[in-house]
Order: sequence, then structure tokens, then C-alpha cells
Amino acid sequence: MSTRLNLFAIIGSIILLLIIFELVRRKYLRERYSLIWIVTGAFFLLLSIRVDFLYRISNFLGFSIPSNALFFFGILFLLSIILGLSVITSRLSEKNKVLTQEVVLLKKRVADLEKSKNPRIQQNHNL
Amino acid sequence: MVIPVFNEEETLRSVIVGVRTFLSQADILVVNDGSTDSTGNIAREEGVLVLEHPYNMGIGATMQTGFLYALRNGYDIAIQVDGDGQHHPEFLPSLITPILKGQSNLVIGSRYLLDGGFKSTLLRKLGIKIFTCLVWIFTGKRATDPTSGFRAMDRKGLELFSEEYPSDYPEVEALISADRKGLHFQEIPTMMRHRQGGTSSIGILSALYYMVKVTLSISIGSFRRVK
Repeated sequence: MSTRLNLFAIIGSIILLLIIFELVRRKYLRERYSLIWIVTGAFFLLLSIRVDFLYRISNFLGFSIPSNALFFFGILFLLSIILGLSVITSRLSEKNKVLTQEVVLLKKRVADLEKSKNPRIQQNHNL
Repeated sequence: MVIPVFNEEETLRSVIVGVRTFLSQADILVVNDGSTDSTGNIAREEGVLVLEHPYNMGIGATMQTGFLYALRNGYDIAIQVDGDGQHHPEFLPSLITPILKGQSNLVIGSRYLLDGGFKSTLLRKLGIKIFTCLVWIFTGKRATDPTSGFRAMDRKGLELFSEEYPSDYPEVEALISADRKGLHFQEIPTMMRHRQGGTSSIGILSALYYMVKVTLSISIGSFRRVK
């Protein structure tokens, strides 16, 4: 890999790490979910500083070109992140459903209580 | 008095009785974090205030629910006691004394201030030592037991924590964010039992996550501006 490309890779990884840091600082990204991204950023940084690691891994696993190894693991990583996000989304939508049902039931209960205890409040609500 | 509970059916009743014995003037609020056992029923049988989460949301959210309730209903002091019975209720009066005297905004019951007060595993001791160091680095103050969930706070503490409280492993971060807000915290010596029932919420892997997450949160948090 050329020195220029190497430099770009290093700068790119540092920018990625800075973006993650800023997102967490502004609370756009929860610490819990930031961990995997910090590890990823650090890994990119490591690979761009020590490109020979990539060559060694790729040689060891028998890839014909190191970039193939990079793409393979990149795609594998992205797939697993997406799968993880799908799981999180599913969990969230289930909780959202439970919450909505809870609110609906509560609303009904509050309305019933108001009707039985104080008819006037009920009227005001209807206005 | 806020008691966060998740599946504590074996111990909750004795915790409530203990609180009633040693701090009878306190209202007891049990925040049930989606328990799947009879914890909620026990709380209702005991006639305490009960808030129920529709699903399990974690200790941070559970405590924050309690803080919100206390704040909105005009309480001046909130005390946190775990539902697993590891905190001795006889220390409740001394826990709130510094607040009543206006000396502190946040009081933490430490299990390490008394000699031979608590025997823990080596791993836990090490973890707590590291947190003590972290607290010292970021606040310049000494906290021998920053993970303790036996604490009391005044209205200022309530206002802060009902606005921001970490959702997992909140104790250490809460301490530091209180200090950053200019709140004063102090520790008092207490004893703690080993848990009487149920299982600890912390295994080895999650202990590791605990360390990493708290360290990360605190370091990044120190770059946030104090509002």
C-alpha cells in the first residue's frame, strides 16, 4: 500500500473515532452501543498503522489478495451489525407496543374513575 | 424511601418490615421493574406505594422512576434501599442525618468504612478500588464504596437525578455528575449483609462491561459542559 493511501487510512480512522466521541458526548449515541464502534474505529486505526497485520491475517487464512480479506471481514462485520440492529429494533417495537397498550388501558381507567367520582370533570374534558 | 425491585419475592417483605421498624415516618415506594415472580403482589399486600414498569427497564430507569415520583409529590428526601435485603435498615437514621443537618446533598452508605464490616471476593474489591480511583481522579474526593446502592439525597439530588440518571450501572456516574453539579456528597459507615435471596445482577462478563462502560461514560462525560 502506498504511503499516501496509508496516511488517508490513518486520518480516516481518527476522524471516525472523533465522530463517535462527539456523538456520545452529545448523547446522540448511548455508551452501551458506542462500545462496538469504538472497538471498530480502533481496529481500523491499528490496521492502517500496521498494514502488515492485514497481510499476515490474509496470508494465514489463504486469501489470494489482502484486499479480499479486508472486504470479506468488512462485509461480515456490517452484516452482523445490521443483524444486531434488527434484533434491537424488534425488541424496541415490542416494548413500544406494550407501552401503548398500557397507556390506552390507563386512559380508559382514568376516564372511568373521573366519571364515577366527579361528573363535572368529565364534562370539562368533553368541551 | 425508594426500593427498586426485580424478582425479590424472597426478601422484599423483610426489607419493608425493616424500614418500618427503623424509619417509621418514611413513605415506602416500591418500583417494580417488570418482575416475573410475586414481588409486585407482596408489595401490594404490604400496603406500600407501588409503581410497576410494564417491562424490565434496568436499575437506572427504575431508580429514576422513583426519583420522578418523589420529586413530583414534593418529598424533601429520597432514600434508596435495595430490595434484596443486603442493607441494614438500622443505619437509615444515620443515612439521613447529614441531609437533615444540611451538610450534604447526597449520602452514601459505605460497607468499607467499618473494620471487618464486609468480606467480599477479591474481584469485587479490585473493581471497587478501581472505581474509587476513578472518583478520586474526576472529583478529587474519596469514596470508599462508590457502587453502593444504599444512599439518601435531598431535593437538589432528586432534581438532578430525575433529569439525568444513567440507565445501566448508574451509581458511580451519578456520584460524579452530582459533584460536577456542585452537590456535596459524603459517606457514612454501614454494614451490609450478603444477599439473602435471589442472584446478583453481576456476572463476570458483565463485571467487565461494567468497568469499561463506567470508565467510558465518565471520561466522555467529563467533556460535557455543566448546564
